[in-house]
Amino acid sequence: MLVMGEVHTGLLQNSGEIPESTCRDVLQLLSGERVRVSRRPIVYAVSPDLLTGVDCRLPSASQSRIRGAGTVLSRSSITGGRVVQGSSYTRIERSGSDRRQPWSHYLARPGVVEVLGKVKSRDLADGFAEDPPADGLDLGAISARFLDVVQSSPLLDRRAPFKIARTRLRWVAEQGEPAIRFTLHSEQMRTVRLVHTGEFTPAVADLCEDLALHDWLLTALLVIIERARIGGTPGPEAAVKLAPAVDHLLHLWMPSARVDDVLSAYWESLDRRPGFTRQWQSLVDRVRDQLAVHTLAFLREKSGGGAR
Amino acid sequence: MLIFAISDKGGTGRSVTSTNIVYRHALQGNDVCYLDFDFGSPTAGAIFSVGSVARGTTRKGLHDYLLGEGAPEPHRVDVWTESDREGLRTKPPGAGRLVLLPGNEGGGELPAVEEETLRRCVQLFSRLDEEFDLVMVDVSAGRSFTAEMVLQATVRLPSVPFRWLVFHRWTRQHIIAADGLVTGADGLLDAGTRFGHKRDALRDRIRFVRTAVLEPDAAELVGLRDEQRAWLFACDTELRELASRHKVGRTSMLGKIPLDPILQWREQLISDEDVLASKIANAETAAAFDDLAKKIVDDAAWEGL
Ligand SMILES: Nc1ncnc2c1ncn2[C@@H]1O[C@H](COP(=O)(O)OP(=O)(O)O)[C@@H](O)[C@H]1O
Ligand SMILES: [Mg+2]
Repeated sequence: MLVMGEVHTGLLQNSGEIPESTCRDVLQLLSGERVRVSRRPIVYAVSPDLLTGVDCRLPSASQSRIRGAGTVLSRSSITGGRVVQGSSYTRIERSGSDRRQPWSHYLARPGVVEVLGKVKSRDLADGFAEDPPADGLDLGAISARFLDVVQSSPLLDRRAPFKIARTRLRWVAEQGEPAIRFTLHSEQMRTVRLVHTGEFTPAVADLCEDLALHDWLLTALLVIIERARIGGTPGPEAAVKLAPAVDHLLHLWMPSARVDDVLSAYWESLDRRPGFTRQWQSLVDRVRDQLAVHTLAFLREKSGGGAR
Repeated sequence: MLIFAISDKGGTGRSVTSTNIVYRHALQGNDVCYLDFDFGSPTAGAIFSVGSVARGTTRKGLHDYLLGEGAPEPHRVDVWTESDREGLRTKPPGAGRLVLLPGNEGGGELPAVEEETLRRCVQLFSRLDEEFDLVMVDVSAGRSFTAEMVLQATVRLPSVPFRWLVFHRWTRQHIIAADGLVTGADGLLDAGTRFGHKRDALRDRIRFVRTAVLEPDAAELVGLRDEQRAWLFACDTELRELASRHKVGRTSMLGKIPLDPILQWREQLISDEDVLASKIANAETAAAFDDLAKKIVDDAAWEGL
């Protein structure tokens, strides 16, 4: 029927980026199973998918009491040894019966939540952007915990180079004419509504994680630039505040790196509007220009001082 | 950095002073948040002038969150957008985020420290530390389960820096009581050691803050008779001696806030506008908050005693 997910993204709580082997060790703790790592074009390490059982209310724009039971798939990942994500999703399907089944039934369908009773797909999809009620399906809470597990690893020194909020991206994917809509809600909340042709594949979840990652990078860079108050503070002070962006963020921008070719058109469409990469590039230029101006001023000051 | 605000008694000025420190710290360009853990009397909403949470929140507050009552995340209030005070409703250029996590309206003290509650507390501190430069926690007055909970939580977060501020008034009773809260039987040091802190290391992370201090040479006292002024001087000297005997003296004091008439009338933040434009507050008071907001993160002020 449709698939819902939520991705949380944050800065890994370590002073520097961690090497591939440490990424493995950190994620290993989560599951004991094999961690998957890809190295090109950027080191990306991901835990295997883990299941969480749920029996709860489902989102509904009309506030109907829709119940569902089943399992959610979740995983933690680390990109570039620097950015950490907790991601969860589940396919919502109609149940063959109106009665709650034993857990063995749901465990045989990992990553599926079956709706008990009648439901309209549109009503579910329209309701998903709202924060869930106390007894509602809360994919965000699950993803946050998958992120916590990584952040609290004893292998990390917890001396992150700057403080930054996590962002959350809630997504829903339906079948139909291909389309994508990305919406910024609060400072930390985003939603994506995506329509795809053919069956849902996990590649859609990969795409949403990739979008979440880049949206976080953009958000973090904006925050760092705002804190630097370019023009409002003396040059050297602004330069010091911009430095963490250069040290830790600028090299991480690799849109579509892990996105299936079939889905890369979605990224291209978002790059046209709202224009993620354009905005990123202009911010990067701004940071580099600032640092260049500051370096020039510094050199001039030094040579002036030497002449006296 | 986590800062825990505690006092031996209620009504010492702990909430008013700690909220003003946090506000000043935000103005100094830091992202800060304030946690109202004084579950018995959640007043922080009123001090930040956020009417909707003046006596705590009716949504999922910290109390619900810690007790696991259907709140995966506690309610957050962005003071720069939600305050009813005109002058607080726009973030000044260069200021950081200022976020309040209110307690529950009608919450009540924690009944005990269950493992699950402690786990949630650790998770909360850990997430907030990721996001904010400074997390100020109003722990409530006296020996409480809340104080025990945060002492235990900080044992489990060995790499998250934390400090304690003990607020007290400048009177005989308060000086003795503040010392007792730290060094007395089952005080902070006893309890902290029981939970796994090292006594001396914990001692180094505790400083005192004197609230509503009337200096004998203050402008307010100009109209006093000579006899009265002489008596006040003698009193003040005696209190200083008492304070240093109780190790609440100058070396372990982080700062003092002068008595300010407007704070006697109303619990509120003192803005620069209150000092410069409407002139209802004293410049010395704002300066004292500003100074403390710097000292809480200034390592030199926290070197071993
Ligand atoms: N510096 C000060 N000058 C005058 N009155 C103060 C000062 N600080 C606090 N007060 C007042 O003391 C009372 C108690 O303060 P409060 O912060 O509510 O105490 P607590 O949180 O310790 O119970 C309040 O009415 C407050 O406005
Ligand atoms: Mg109080």
